[in-house]
Amino acid sequence: MSAPSPPCTSSRYTPMTHELRRVVIAGGSIAAVTAAETLRLRGFDGDITILSDEARPPYTRVPLSKGILAGLETTKSTALPALGDDVTIRLNAPVAQLLVDERRVVLADAELVPYDGLIIATGARARRLGAPTQRGEHVIRTIADATNLADRIAAAGSVLVVGAGFLGMEIASTCATRGLHVTVVDRDPPLRRLLGDWLARRVVAAAEERGVKFVLAPNGVRLLGDPDITGVDCGNHVLCADVVVTAAGDVPNTEWLTDSGLALAGGVVVDERCLAAPNIAAAGDVSAVRQPTGSFQRCPHWSNAVHQGQTAATSLLGAQSDPPRRHDPYFWTEQFGLNIKYSGQIPSDCAPTVLAGEPPHRSGLFQWHDNDQPVAAASVNHPIPIVKLKKLARTRPWPTQHWPPTTAATRRHRPAVTLSDMTKTRARLGRASRKLETPHH
Amino acid sequence: MTHINADHERCEGHGLCEQIAPEVYRVNDDGEVELLVDEVPDGLRAQAEAGARVCPVAALHILALHPNDP
Repeated sequence: MSAPSPPCTSSRYTPMTHELRRVVIAGGSIAAVTAAETLRLRGFDGDITILSDEARPPYTRVPLSKGILAGLETTKSTALPALGDDVTIRLNAPVAQLLVDERRVVLADAELVPYDGLIIATGARARRLGAPTQRGEHVIRTIADATNLADRIAAAGSVLVVGAGFLGMEIASTCATRGLHVTVVDRDPPLRRLLGDWLARRVVAAAEERGVKFVLAPNGVRLLGDPDITGVDCGNHVLCADVVVTAAGDVPNTEWLTDSGLALAGGVVVDERCLAAPNIAAAGDVSAVRQPTGSFQRCPHWSNAVHQGQTAATSLLGAQSDPPRRHDPYFWTEQFGLNIKYSGQIPSDCAPTVLAGEPPHRSGLFQWHDNDQPVAAASVNHPIPIVKLKKLARTRPWPTQHWPPTTAATRRHRPAVTLSDMTKTRARLGRASRKLETPHH
Repeated sequence: MTHINADHERCEGHGLCEQIAPEVYRVNDDGEVELLVDEVPDGLRAQAEAGARVCPVAALHILALHPNDP
């Protein structure tokens, strides 16, 4: 295979001509695990090394805000089935730098790990709002976060949750069930961006029936108390609580790539095949895909991590003649007695067609339309195979825009993103990237 | 042969297992996972394990791995 000459001057760099014998996967969660698994399923028989910064073998984060926080589940129950012996998992091995020219990953202890192919799956971390001197800001991202918070709320009477997305609302729900006084504050109406006004109102009603209070802070909040956090300043008034939890989104772990030359725009920029550069793919919460609007968007959800983990592995193996697999977006949340599953993008301001269920619609099957076309479907406490739910959403295929534009013929012979593209894009993105990472709360 | 334990208490019917390994798992009309094979033949073992590993609530477990298998 041939490839355009890279802009770098290193003579050691030989793009796309070397044999793929050693694949390194940076990150140790579901995108990384799925990528490793897919490499083996696709017949790759070389070395696979997973570099995880966690102390635990791969686990699912999904129960952390629910069963683990409630104290109903053991941390052991979150473990994912172990990968085979033919995959090396190195725990406590945080990556610190990527040397693209030399095809090496540098670990925090300066060890160099060589690779032929790299999959970046370093995920994201919880966004924090507190100053460095402030203590006691809780978040939930890791098992340790969840167990720490579970211990803390066991001895508390009130909790303040900053952020009314899925994670914040699930934390609020669990805390309410445990008998705490719960207040949720956000700059936007709770869940509206995710579930649309119609469904979000029903969830909020269920939360209010359980005693949860909601505060709108359009200008955002500031954590109060130094060193110990005591509450938040909402601009027009102050809220205090025994425990403050921030659930205000996540920040992609891309710092180790700052000097790598890879394009970063609120995440590692990848094409629709999850390729970031020759022999480098990225998957999961850390990756950002170009949208039709020209912006770059991450999709930090489980089903996307699985899909991208598969895609990244397949692309790394050079299956470039395969069209990218269509991915129907699918999301879920469980809170305040409501088990909500949906596919598609729920419109923010229109009511759905009720396919099943009676008022006040705390359970049922709902379908949203835009210009008479189905665009989203949701089930609430209504068992349905997800395949059927996705069909009801009849989501248009994700845009498979070719970026950078290439003809079908050249696509087979060159990686979808070259180092040259990366450099240009990176220069163009400088400011946009910083803007994208502005906190939402 | 490999045996899979499906924890129906944990299963939430997200169907990722079925998506990865449709010959091994199926989510029925009640939104619950069903195993399509009692014992997983060797030819399906890798898929079965992959399907178990993507379960977001860790409801699927491989019980009888043969350590000497490739």
